[in-house]
Amino acid sequence: MAETPSYTERLKAWNRFEAEKFSKKAPVTTPYPFIDIEKPPEYRGIPHINPEKCIGCGACVNACPPDALIMEWDKEHGVKRLTYNAARCIRCARCIEVCPTGAMEPTTRFEIATDNKEDLVEVVEHRLAYCEECGEYLDFTERQIEYVKAILPKEIFNMYALEDRIGLTREEKMRKTVVKLRETEGNAYPAFILVEKARDNGGEE
Amino acid sequence: METAAKLGFSLAGIIITLLLPPYLDGIARRVKARLQYRRGPPLSQTWYDLRKLFGMPSVKPTKRALFTWAPYLALASAISAALLLPYGNVVPVDFGFNLVVFFYVVLMVSVFLMLAGLTVQNAFSHLGSSREMQIILTVEPLIAILYGVLAYNSGSLNLYTILTGLHLTPSLVLTYILLAYALYVESGFVPFDIAEAEQEVIGGPLSEYSGRLLGVFYYAIHIKRFALLWFFVSLLTIPWIGPIGTPEKAALVLVLQFILTIAFYPAIAALEATNARLRIDHVVKMNTRAFFAGLIILAMAFMGW
Amino acid sequence: MVTTKDLEAHFEFECKACENGRCAKADVEKILSEREGLRDFYEAFKEHIKDCKRMTYGQYMFTIDREILPKAVLWWHNHPKFKETHMSTAVGTDERPLNGHFIYMPFLSVQVEPLNMDRNYWVFLRTYLPADDPSFPSVAEKLPAALWIEREVKDLLGFKPINHPDPRRLILPEDFPDGVYPLRKDMDYRHSPITEPKVEYRETPDNTTLVPMGPAHMGIEEPAHFRLFVKGEEIVDVDYRGFYSHRGIEKTGEGRLTYNQILFLAERICGICGYQHSVSYAMAIERLADVDVPDRARYIRTLMLELERIHNHLLWVGIAAHMVGYDTGFMHAWRIREPVMWLVERLTGNRKQYGMNIIGGVRRDILDYRKDEVLKVVKQIRDGTKTFLDIALNTNTFIKRAEGIGILPYKVAKAYSVLGPTARASGRKIDARLDQATKTAMAYNEVDFKVPVYKEGDVLARVLVRMDELFESLWIVEQLIDQMPGGDIMVPIGELPEYEETLGFTEAHRGEVVHYVMTGEKNKVYRWKVRAPTYNNLPAIPEMLKGYHVADAPLIIASIDPCYSCTERVQFVDVDTGRVKVLTEAEFNELSIKYRGVF
Repeated sequence: MAETPSYTERLKAWNRFEAEKFSKKAPVTTPYPFIDIEKPPEYRGIPHINPEKCIGCGACVNACPPDALIMEWDKEHGVKRLTYNAARCIRCARCIEVCPTGAMEPTTRFEIATDNKEDLVEVVEHRLAYCEECGEYLDFTERQIEYVKAILPKEIFNMYALEDRIGLTREEKMRKTVVKLRETEGNAYPAFILVEKARDNGGEE
Repeated sequence: METAAKLGFSLAGIIITLLLPPYLDGIARRVKARLQYRRGPPLSQTWYDLRKLFGMPSVKPTKRALFTWAPYLALASAISAALLLPYGNVVPVDFGFNLVVFFYVVLMVSVFLMLAGLTVQNAFSHLGSSREMQIILTVEPLIAILYGVLAYNSGSLNLYTILTGLHLTPSLVLTYILLAYALYVESGFVPFDIAEAEQEVIGGPLSEYSGRLLGVFYYAIHIKRFALLWFFVSLLTIPWIGPIGTPEKAALVLVLQFILTIAFYPAIAALEATNARLRIDHVVKMNTRAFFAGLIILAMAFMGW
Repeated sequence: MVTTKDLEAHFEFECKACENGRCAKADVEKILSEREGLRDFYEAFKEHIKDCKRMTYGQYMFTIDREILPKAVLWWHNHPKFKETHMSTAVGTDERPLNGHFIYMPFLSVQVEPLNMDRNYWVFLRTYLPADDPSFPSVAEKLPAALWIEREVKDLLGFKPINHPDPRRLILPEDFPDGVYPLRKDMDYRHSPITEPKVEYRETPDNTTLVPMGPAHMGIEEPAHFRLFVKGEEIVDVDYRGFYSHRGIEKTGEGRLTYNQILFLAERICGICGYQHSVSYAMAIERLADVDVPDRARYIRTLMLELERIHNHLLWVGIAAHMVGYDTGFMHAWRIREPVMWLVERLTGNRKQYGMNIIGGVRRDILDYRKDEVLKVVKQIRDGTKTFLDIALNTNTFIKRAEGIGILPYKVAKAYSVLGPTARASGRKIDARLDQATKTAMAYNEVDFKVPVYKEGDVLARVLVRMDELFESLWIVEQLIDQMPGGDIMVPIGELPEYEETLGFTEAHRGEVVHYVMTGEKNKVYRWKVRAPTYNNLPAIPEMLKGYHVADAPLIIASIDPCYSCTERVQFVDVDTGRVKVLTEAEFNELSIKYRGVF
């Protein structure tokens, strides 16, 4: 099997084809739109979202300076939509740096001229997690939950009994807390006071 | 036979006049590109540009008729100037006193350009026109004097007679040198393209023109440049080649003229490429000096040198 | 002994920004003795000085009464010992949410000894203007450098410079209603009112004709409107109306940009000197956060800055040749420039807008084998430029057009606070690379180079200054490659202090770039003011044009290397509300923190 060269080796090997012509005097210009131009491997081109790796966390959206990446929630249909617009993108590659799963992939493409603006837009739709208790959609996606499950140690799951709570809406969690508190303390407080208490305790922890 | 040959040469002259000038510009563009290490456009690029312009309507900022007519009048002047010149041994349009007519007709191209610039309310047009006028006023007396030397040298005002009747004197050599300068200025090549300077007066008199009218103006300017060059090339070839009796020899002369014209253009392009544009006061100063040099040459010619 | 505490006792209001003792409350005596000239100023204006503090290394602030503002500015500007002192610019801030006052704050770069960054310093003259009467005596009356600055705060914040010689509109468009001030904090960024346009051009003087150069003109690459009053072909007077590219990004950006995002916006202020803006801004934030940038990062930054200077000077000389119709020079200058662009593309990932910076360092390291490549390109550029200069400076027509044209005398250059090569061609010995303490973010203190100065002040001198600088830059690049230290390229920064101010600056190839940053709460930026060098150079253009031909106008205008969008486009970004546009995502984060116990 042929060995794949390391990244540095590949960088060293790359050579700009115009550079050779450059030393040979005239002409230095190329008939550009009629030939293909290859950019060096270091070039920051248009990033591209790999939908298989994306979990819909929105880290890229927070980092993006020009709002080229936006995130929308559609609670009715249970969809979280991540939209990337290459026309707004300034190619700073911040999204690539912050992506926790490596779903934003760098490319060396730079030609975005098109007669249809929709060609420049990439949309990734994620299914929102569904709360089985109350039948509403959560703020985060199923993949986010899977991701959290994969990286958190087992003990934490056990400690907070996360396994059966992670897929619930906020209201449902609160209700569960209330029920639990009632059960353990046997108090006859109205439910909202218990929720407040739980929240205060939570804040201090 | 005689008339057929004459007709043939006239036709050749007309075809050359109408078709060649944009190609000459194409050559210049290519040569300039190579001097700048560029690839350059194809040779017929100027034709493509003109064709595009001819196909587009013009926006007219004024109701004055001169605005519309000036390009066509300039084109007519340029074409008639070119047809007053000899192709082989045939002058397609021959009225006698050709030299004077040629002088005026070439001048008319610049004059129409200048007048066209004055028909519109645009500071840049006016600036360009006033520059054009200053160039005309300083370079035309010089050309007139040099033509006078030629006429005196050969004893005629008819162009073809002049060309065949010149005899070599020191004053004639100096006239040729000064004439090369004067015709270069008159053509408006780069150090002297002040009237149409794009960075300074955004095209000068042409700044309000667009579409077909602009194309016609460009075409006229290219033909005028060609006519002036053809005139100079004729001066270089016909007087020194001996009497042209047969159509074969005339054809040879025509080929020689043609080749020399094409050969001169790269040199002009190289001059254009290696110079910055001058300022109008520089040009006026240079032209005035050249004018006095011309006067001295005229005096020399009268003395018989 | 007087301390700032005592001074504050006489101060009639309480500043929210100072509440937590964040103001650098050092001993006044100690501060005053740090740099030459501070004590003299203090003695001269003792009864009007309310406060003095050191903002950061080499930056001092005096809070003074507004009545003596012109006197104080002129005291510094005309200081007999500090010859090359110049008025950099001024910041106006709406601090009403904090303390009920407006702030107007001119600042000067004081040059105790030219090109000695450890003795020179910045002086900020802070004045508080009451909210109901934000007026101050105009400095512009006596110092033309303040002309635009005061018109700007008048437009954007509604300050009233009393006795301003030219109180027309500068930035806001003609159809913007009076009495609406975009930079005040109470104006919503979505509000964009329109009224009947009101044109305020200057009248054409008698016996002259008007040549409108602009708003779109072939000789000016960007929209700008020079109204030349012409007699024949001679320019008698000039009126300038610009700021067609002003977009007020401050308001659209309000509320959502973090300090790291602003960095990338800063880089995109200018298509040519973008990295200079980026470094200036990063420098300001780093000084606020009080971090030491690693040496390697400083060297890489300096390397990129100098590479940028090299290709920009080549770009400029090409443009200058193009302006006089010398297209061969234009093409060759740009051909020589191209390898730098290719090199930079491989070093950073882009030809321009490198995206190389991050607060606290740089994003990409320079691999060691690349050093040979850099040196190869440096050699190529040096040879190419030498040949080019041989040819261009021997082109008679080119020299004829550039020599003795657009002369800017030393005195005028100083009065207008002209910066960069334009100033150095007029004999001013200023260069922000060495004048001020750039050593926190760049490595100019560790390399050796000369600052070329010419006395002629014409366009040719500007060409020569730039070309000399280009060769110096090549030499700097070689030194940097030689001395490049190892180590980290980035250091993370923690929390930013609240309501602190500082200045970041670099010397772009046009002059000094200044970024003033005032932080707000929650790591946001309360006020960001950018001053590109063209902002100071452009007002001096009319002085250069007077008496020359219309034909020279494009060349003279191009000779300062103007960048209109730099000057106009992004003036400020104010982020104070902390409102987040992408609500739900941030809400998710916040709520998850808030409710972490409930889980």
